[in-house]
Amino acid sequence: MKLLTKSTLLIATLSLFLFFIMGVIFFQVLKNLSTSDLNRELDDLKELVEDSLEDYESAPFRTLPGIDSLWVQAVDRAEQREEVFGDTLMLDKKGRQFRTYRYLQFVTEKEHTFYKVIIYKSTTPTDKLVERVTLMMTLMVILFLAGIFVLNRVIFASLWKGFFEAIEKLKQFESTKEPVILEEQDIQEFEELRQVLEVLTRRLARDYRELKEYTDHTTHELQTPLAVIKSKAELLIQSEKLGEEEMQLLQAINTSVHQLSRLNSTLTLITRIENRQFTEKEKINLVGLLDRHLELLQEHIGLQGIKIEKHYHDGGRVLCMDQGLADLLIVNLLKNAIVHNMKGGKIVLEIEAGSLVIRNDGPPLGFSQEELFTRFVRNNRRAGSFGLGLSLVKKVCDTYQIDVEYSFDNQQHCFKLTFPD
Amino acid sequence: MQILIVEDESSLMESMVSYLEMEGFRCEQAPDFKTAVRVLDKHDYLCMLIDLNLPDGDGLELVKLARENDSKSGIIIISARNTIVQRVEGLDAGADDYLVKPFHLSELVARVNSVARRTRLKGGEMLSFGLIRVQPEERSCFVDEQQVELTKKELDLLLYFMANRNRVVTKEGIADYLWGEYGGDYGSYDFVYTHLKNLRRKLMDAGCPDYVQNIYGIGYKFSFV
Repeated sequence: MKLLTKSTLLIATLSLFLFFIMGVIFFQVLKNLSTSDLNRELDDLKELVEDSLEDYESAPFRTLPGIDSLWVQAVDRAEQREEVFGDTLMLDKKGRQFRTYRYLQFVTEKEHTFYKVIIYKSTTPTDKLVERVTLMMTLMVILFLAGIFVLNRVIFASLWKGFFEAIEKLKQFESTKEPVILEEQDIQEFEELRQVLEVLTRRLARDYRELKEYTDHTTHELQTPLAVIKSKAELLIQSEKLGEEEMQLLQAINTSVHQLSRLNSTLTLITRIENRQFTEKEKINLVGLLDRHLELLQEHIGLQGIKIEKHYHDGGRVLCMDQGLADLLIVNLLKNAIVHNMKGGKIVLEIEAGSLVIRNDGPPLGFSQEELFTRFVRNNRRAGSFGLGLSLVKKVCDTYQIDVEYSFDNQQHCFKLTFPD
Repeated sequence: MQILIVEDESSLMESMVSYLEMEGFRCEQAPDFKTAVRVLDKHDYLCMLIDLNLPDGDGLELVKLARENDSKSGIIIISARNTIVQRVEGLDAGADDYLVKPFHLSELVARVNSVARRTRLKGGEMLSFGLIRVQPEERSCFVDEQQVELTKKELDLLLYFMANRNRVVTKEGIADYLWGEYGGDYGSYDFVYTHLKNLRRKLMDAGCPDYVQNIYGIGYKFSFV
């Protein structure tokens, strides 16, 4: 969730909650105020009724001003002397619907006669008022919330500008390896962040460059001495004077030099991929690519008695990448599927829309899956292998945002490449 | 048959010279750009081996210079740089082949022979060894006038042996020459053995003696026993 969304949601939820409680309290207070107002009015009316009680049966009495309805009855003696306030429902004057009324019931004495009197006052006008005021308040609250919402966005955008710029630059750091240099910030925390980021990324960029140069130079400089050792060993092998024992020693040297030079050239390759030295983009048909490499690897496949199963459901799939890297990717995946297979095993190739799956039979990994794509991780120190193949695969995939996943089930290793669209 | 070698690393130069001389080539050595320019058209070389990284110049310029002088020599670039761009640049400048350091001397000889055949003899040449005769351009092989059907790999293997006759070639060297990057990383060179076995069987079935000797498990030697 974005920071802005999160903060807006929080503000909205909290203020809605607050306003709801405040609204309830406000409504209650208003209601109480209006009730006590009505009570006071009824008290005033009580005196008016008491004053004119003698002619309570006459018509003008029935329509005393301010009274909505009046009920008077002569009673024998004073049962209840205290006043009673209450609410009741009654049919309105037109007799159409029930309305709420506030009443005051009391017993009063006039010339030795006791009267029980109930004065009714309609609450409809005050209720209407309360209703309107509440409605107004709600409207105000909504407007206020909308205002907060807009203000929050504006303030947020301007306050956090530096922060978002820093994030953008940091994202680019992965590909550009340029130090993150931002403008000076007037917010202290962001200014600190800016300084820390600059120092950190400068150091990272420098380390990265130095490491790159180091690998570049060593791999290159190693080529010549390796070439010398290799050629001398080969010359020595031609010597007629050597016996079997010396030849075996030579063979050991030869094998190691051979491995060393393969290792060196693979490392050079990885460095070059990291340096993004492969920039050519070509449209490459995936089926054609796979079949060509299967053909070239035919000897190895045949020697192990491996069967190939092809399920090309998306035969027209085209990759847009450097030809050399595409070859590297497929060769290494296929080599891996051959080398870690078993006699008479199977390799299954599936092309679905947007993905390539390569599955092969084979014993499970001797190490954790997370390490699979890291350099120099391999099964039981197989001679002649450095465990660099899959790290090459990973590097190529990273270059083209291809997602590569590994899984092992049903005694089969499975590599799934998902291509970006 | 003269070969010009332009290489600044003296150890490597010595190795190449020794091996090539064993094969019967005569070598002219040029340790730097200046010397190379001076001797470039001293002879009509069979083949020039040119290192790209020279202390006082770019090997690529030498290639261009040789081609401007209308030299008909075969040119093989020898370089530690191994990118497609550099290969293409080298071949565009007029080189016939591009060999990446470190390489097998046996591979160097095989390539020198193949470049020499292409540039000098226009492919008409017939190679022979004992009872075996091979026409490289037609890709055909005969044992005692009787044609032997060989696969592409088997024929390449035979040519490699014939170029390195009487020499010990290692299994790694064969794998690198015939399979390139498809050859390594398998932990064994059984696939080399399989092809060699087939080649020997086909030749011997045609009545040819076995010229291939196994040398202590290290490699093979193609020679009259």
